Amino acid sequence: MAGLDLLSDQGYRVDGRRAGELRKIQARMGVFAQADGSAYIEQGNTKALAVVYGPHEIRGSRARALPDRALVNCQYSSATFSTGERKRRPHGDRKSCEMGLQLRQTFEAAILTQLHPRSQIDIYVQVLQADGGTYAACVNAATLAVLDAGIPMRDFVCACSAGFVDGTALADLSHVEEAAGGPQLALALLPASGQIALLEMDARLHEDHLERVLEAAARAARDVHTLLDHVVRQHVCEASLLLGD
Amino acid sequence: MAEAVAVAVESLAGVKARAARTVLGQVVLPGEELLLPEQEDAEGPGGAGERPLRLNPGVRSRVRVVCGPGLRRCGDRLLVTKCGRLRHKEPGGGGGGVYWVDSQQKRYVPVKGDHVIGIVIAKSGDIFKVDVGGSEPASLSYLAFEGATKRNRPNVQVGDLIYGQFVVANKDMEPEMVCIDSCGRANGMGVIGQDGLLFKVTLGLIRKLLAPDCEIIQEVGKLYPLEIVFGMNGRIWVKAKTIQQTLILANILEACEHMTTDQRKQIFSRLAER
Repeated sequence: MAGLDLLSDQGYRVDGRRAGELRKIQARMGVFAQADGSAYIEQGNTKALAVVYGPHEIRGSRARALPDRALVNCQYSSATFSTGERKRRPHGDRKSCEMGLQLRQTFEAAILTQLHPRSQIDIYVQVLQADGGTYAACVNAATLAVLDAGIPMRDFVCACSAGFVDGTALADLSHVEEAAGGPQLALALLPASGQIALLEMDARLHEDHLERVLEAAARAARDVHTLLDHVVRQHVCEASLLLGD
Repeated sequence: MAEAVAVAVESLAGVKARAARTVLGQVVLPGEELLLPEQEDAEGPGGAGERPLRLNPGVRSRVRVVCGPGLRRCGDRLLVTKCGRLRHKEPGGGGGGVYWVDSQQKRYVPVKGDHVIGIVIAKSGDIFKVDVGGSEPASLSYLAFEGATKRNRPNVQVGDLIYGQFVVANKDMEPEMVCIDSCGRANGMGVIGQDGLLFKVTLGLIRKLLAPDCEIIQEVGKLYPLEIVFGMNGRIWVKAKTIQQTLILANILEACEHMTTDQRKQIFSRLAER
């Protein structure tokens, strides 16, 4: 296509990264005092905030209570100022509902819900700035928030997006690369066991290329795990230092 | 292409399980697996040279290790489910002791035997519903007070503060609490008196304040005469002679979490001067 080359001849992308390179990730836990758990993450220019409440009593109708596990309720909201053009509805539209459902599926796989029957865990994610990879940033922020809340989890959940251009798999797509219209894959992984919590793609990709794209996404998710691991360790060290351990 | 996928999966399999002994006091994260001491002998190259001679070397004596908060049994290993520092307590008698993860949390999960402060939210028939900060209100029978009989009901209203302990607290049943101990005496439990201030702190701070040799409580006691009740659900009730002193004490205890020892001593010395 004319104009923008997503991958140059020397192997550089639009923002100067290599094919398998992630954007800069910065994260903080314990951002809000009122919530049980909270976290903030910046993945390049994508900024997401996650807040967790729970496990608490089922709100609304008692009939929704599950007798043997906790109900995980996820809500996704993107601020009106998060995209290039001002968004009309921050939440309640189709895309936000679908994202909420995907987040719920992801976290039901990782949280040990059998330990809290008949209760509810709320995960609220807000995207403050959307520059591609919003699902991945939301999952990473929500993982940190759930860890901050002390809710027992089987493992971290680390997510990354991947695409395919000119025979090369790209990891961690930015908005420019997503808007170009190629295939995009979103992968959420439990790193220790290598199990996949959610795999989503809504474009056409030849099955011969699927293995490569999947591997690129998995490697990128493992790199994200290394970074989040470091953030959590630092947070725990600071917290236990103040408590005098 | 199948080989590429297999390689990817293997490289993702991640860190090998470590022996629990070597990780004590360090930060552990969900997804890590820990080996119990008896398994290290089985998995190590030759085992320690000084192992005692056994009569029947085939049978390994199993040491009973208790798996505390933040750990789950996963096959024959321990899976870490919360982030925090790994701790171990040696057993009194036989057995392998207790392993647990010291983690920071604000939300309370009822545990049997914990003493907590609850707020009465409803009276229905013979029981009170008490909010303890967990996922369900606890039930408290009106006969569970010292000296209470069917004719002599305790004087408890909605909105009162109750200090009691859990007799039933597991994930499958509604928690039940009582205000008497096993001998039938109140032992400090029951309705908490008038006035005073109830405020919430994190669970880690409560455990630290209730440790046997906590300096903070000794220093606070020297500052003003006060009454104080600690609930394991993160709630503290404090009462001093005047409202101003009560508020000062509440603020100090809430701030203790974020202050280092030196800053705390500075504040206490400044308050003692006034």
